Amino acid sequence: MRPVDQRPSYTPPQWVDRLISRFCASHLQEEILGDLYERYQLSIARLGESKAKRRYWREALAYMRPSFFKKTTQNTTPHPITMVRHYFLTAFRNTVRNKAFSIINVLGLALGMTCFLLIFLWVADEKVVDNFHKNNERLYTLYHTTESNGNVFGGYDIPNWYGNRNGQDEPVLADELKVNFPEVLYATNYATSYDLPWGYPCTFQYGDIKHKIKGSTAGEDFFKMFSYELVAGKAASALDEINTVAISEKMARMFFDSPEEALGKVLRYENFRDFVVRAVFKDTDQQSSLQFDYLISWKNTVKGEILRSDNKFPTYIQLKENTDPAAFAEKLRDFQNQRSDYPENYQVDLGIQPFGDRYLSSNFVNGAPAEGRKEYVNIFSGVAIFILIIACVNFMNLATAKSLKRAREVGVRKVIGSSRGYLIGQFLGESLLLSFIALICALVLVSLLLPFFNDFSGKQMALPLEKSNYWLFLIGLTVAAGLASGSYPALFLSSLRPVRVLKGLTRFSKSALWFRKGLAVFQFSLSILLLIGTLVVSRQTDFVQNKHLGYDKENIIYLRIEGDLNRKYAVLKERLLTLPGISMVDRSSEAPHNMGFEMSSPFTWEGQQEGQAVSFKPTSVGFDFVDMMGLEVVEGRSFSKDFATDTSAFMVNETALTQMGMENPLGKRISAWRKQGHIIGILKDYHISSLHEKIKPLIVDVKENLNFGIIMVKTPPGQTQEALKSLELANAEVNPNYPLAYQFLDLEYAKMYESEAIISKLSNVFAVLAILISCLGLLGLAMFSAEQRTREIGIRKVLGASVNSIVTMFSKEFVQLVLVSFIIAAPIAWYLMNNWLQGFAYSVPLAWWIFALTGASALLIALLTVSFQTMRAALRNPVKSLRAE
Amino acid sequence: MRRSDLGEFEEIVLLTVAVLNPAAYSVMIAEELEQQTGKTVTTGAVHSALQRLEKKGFLTSEMGEATAARGGRRKRLFTVTVAGSKILHEVKAVRDNLWSRVTPQGMPQINIS
Repeated sequence: MRPVDQRPSYTPPQWVDRLISRFCASHLQEEILGDLYERYQLSIARLGESKAKRRYWREALAYMRPSFFKKTTQNTTPHPITMVRHYFLTAFRNTVRNKAFSIINVLGLALGMTCFLLIFLWVADEKVVDNFHKNNERLYTLYHTTESNGNVFGGYDIPNWYGNRNGQDEPVLADELKVNFPEVLYATNYATSYDLPWGYPCTFQYGDIKHKIKGSTAGEDFFKMFSYELVAGKAASALDEINTVAISEKMARMFFDSPEEALGKVLRYENFRDFVVRAVFKDTDQQSSLQFDYLISWKNTVKGEILRSDNKFPTYIQLKENTDPAAFAEKLRDFQNQRSDYPENYQVDLGIQPFGDRYLSSNFVNGAPAEGRKEYVNIFSGVAIFILIIACVNFMNLATAKSLKRAREVGVRKVIGSSRGYLIGQFLGESLLLSFIALICALVLVSLLLPFFNDFSGKQMALPLEKSNYWLFLIGLTVAAGLASGSYPALFLSSLRPVRVLKGLTRFSKSALWFRKGLAVFQFSLSILLLIGTLVVSRQTDFVQNKHLGYDKENIIYLRIEGDLNRKYAVLKERLLTLPGISMVDRSSEAPHNMGFEMSSPFTWEGQQEGQAVSFKPTSVGFDFVDMMGLEVVEGRSFSKDFATDTSAFMVNETALTQMGMENPLGKRISAWRKQGHIIGILKDYHISSLHEKIKPLIVDVKENLNFGIIMVKTPPGQTQEALKSLELANAEVNPNYPLAYQFLDLEYAKMYESEAIISKLSNVFAVLAILISCLGLLGLAMFSAEQRTREIGIRKVLGASVNSIVTMFSKEFVQLVLVSFIIAAPIAWYLMNNWLQGFAYSVPLAWWIFALTGASALLIALLTVSFQTMRAALRNPVKSLRAE
Repeated sequence: MRRSDLGEFEEIVLLTVAVLNPAAYSVMIAEELEQQTGKTVTTGAVHSALQRLEKKGFLTSEMGEATAARGGRRKRLFTVTVAGSKILHEVKAVRDNLWSRVTPQGMPQINIS
């Protein structure tokens, strides 16, 4: 044998060694590695290093055979399947043994999961809106950012893009973009309104069938860009000519037997234009924020066939594939700068926003779309996670509390030879089992609650149980909840020392005690936070709904001026006043609760400073408007037919007066557009738009010959039915070509705060649930505490403690927890709610009593929850409790 | 017991242990076999055969001392047991007996260099 020991030694590739030590049985590793090493030294001498390395590989691989592998069975560990079965068996036994605790645990978790699932259904439903289009990633909406005299604002309705100016056709933005940018594949306008007041249904007629239907105008690319499915007709030719219309399946069935039959038929529109039905599309569903039952070719708006209120309209584009949106946005800005012919101090920039983001972020901040419904989606996602955490904390807390009882079990298991990993597995198995049971309960609850939830969130959601992704989500959620809630008990219990446990020496360490209290405090803080939030939100919603607006919104019905209603207004008014259920009739150019129109340039007044401008909301009304609306005149008088000059008179509100800086306003000259007149009266400020906005300057005049606007009818209380009959009758006489369509002012007003109302309802429900779950946790803790201290209470009673003192002693502990939670939650709640209320120009104050009430009720609820347990503990016969040992 | 039968590779390893005694361990056996047969023999294969032989009771082993050539690790030294010796002899007897009965016409003649 060659004396190998004298050779210089070479180090073989290290990670092969690692491979060996990973896979080969530990008692063989020394031999194997030694063999490999020695062989390597020999083969280097014989073959050189590179060949030796290759050889080394082969040698190492030769050890990859079963006889060298680690064997799981050779240790004391049982087979994995047996083990898992055992985990679940013991878990099941424990669950059954501690029925009360298990029920509390499962119930809490199930409630938490129910909230979580419901909220996330809602969130998912919100997120899907407008994101269902095939070309979604390449669809954008344009918006403008306008800077005027230092004010920055933005919107989707881009100003000053003419379709028809001075009688000449000019390209609109959509057309110009397609010509100027090779990146733009398609572009379309979309305008729901062509006429004031906005968003009214229009009358369609086929033969004798007449219906009022809401719809819009859109360009010929519309159906090519968006994935609104066509039932009949082709997307390419749906809107390509001026006399074309596309209608929904629903609308098709209103007039014809089947969608196919509708194709090629001619519908009469507003009794003055005929449109050929070119396509029938599936009814727009809730996943679309654009809601329309018909689309008229955009060309009608360009050629002036259909009037539109102004020259602003949303524009949507589809970029070609592989276009960089950022670069395109940059080009767009340059393009806009070249084209603009805006006055000085007035700068308009164009921007693009992904179409799918529009629904959730449509509020403009600093001229760019930023917030919107997204906030609510985020808030509720947060609430969902909070509630789930609260539920998990329950579990954790109870399991930790119970752990003293189970410490002995752990001790015995450890003595018999259970490893720590095995114990962790056992406890996690338990929590997973419970969380799966909770999931099943939650799914049952969700399917029971979903109809109600749909009802008040105004959605049509269903559990997407047919989707495998959703199951993955559910299982992931359950496992996460199980692991989260089982982790602390598992780690804590498995770390116990068997010797101490079996000697009975375990006490909770200070830190474990603090941990439990900390969890309870955390839980209660979240609940109190939710409770305060709910109170504030519902108070604000109440405030908004019931605030005295400065006018009477009850008992007013209004209808749009259309057809002959303007021409025959006097006749109609006279006729209506003779019919039952109608006490007053008047008109207005805009619905008074939500005035959209706002302008500053056409207004001048006596004493106006150079360069001074006030942005007015102008409205033209009839003579009885002020009277009918119950508006208060603070100075001067209201319009009257007795003064012939009142057709050229104006009234303004107090805000207008302050902003104009006018003193002694009565009789001062003021002009709007070409109309000149004098101020005859000052109106007390009343709310002319949503309470999110401050009251704006208002200017009112009398015009009884406008061909747009609304006719308002006041009914005596309780006579709505008679009024509607009368309206029907009068309308049929005066305006036979148009079916009657009417609205109630108070209902329309409530609609402005729909999202707040939903938020209020949702948060009510979820706050109650959060409190309920937290109370379950408290109940569990109280039960445990009472059980733990049985002997202590027995001894106290023997020594002469009264029931009263024992109950007090017990309750003190829980009162402390609630108080600490309150101290933590209150400032956070104050900060958050203050922020939320900032979004309203008019809001309720954050009163101290809201906080006091929440704190007091949290305390009361907590005491009630624990009282039963404490009473039982205190009333127990000490002889019995002491004899047990 | 079929398990106590001796495979061909096992037989040759067992024999080599006897040859190399008292320094019979996996690396040396593998080297020896490579020299004898001219084929690559991995220590893994040898080691595995040694394990089987020991399980069948034909070999015993003990740990030797650590050497630098093995990176400071010990080696396992093997010796043939009585049962091992017996089976080797039996196998040899069977073969000798068979060889002795092969007539020149029994198989084609080849020249062994």
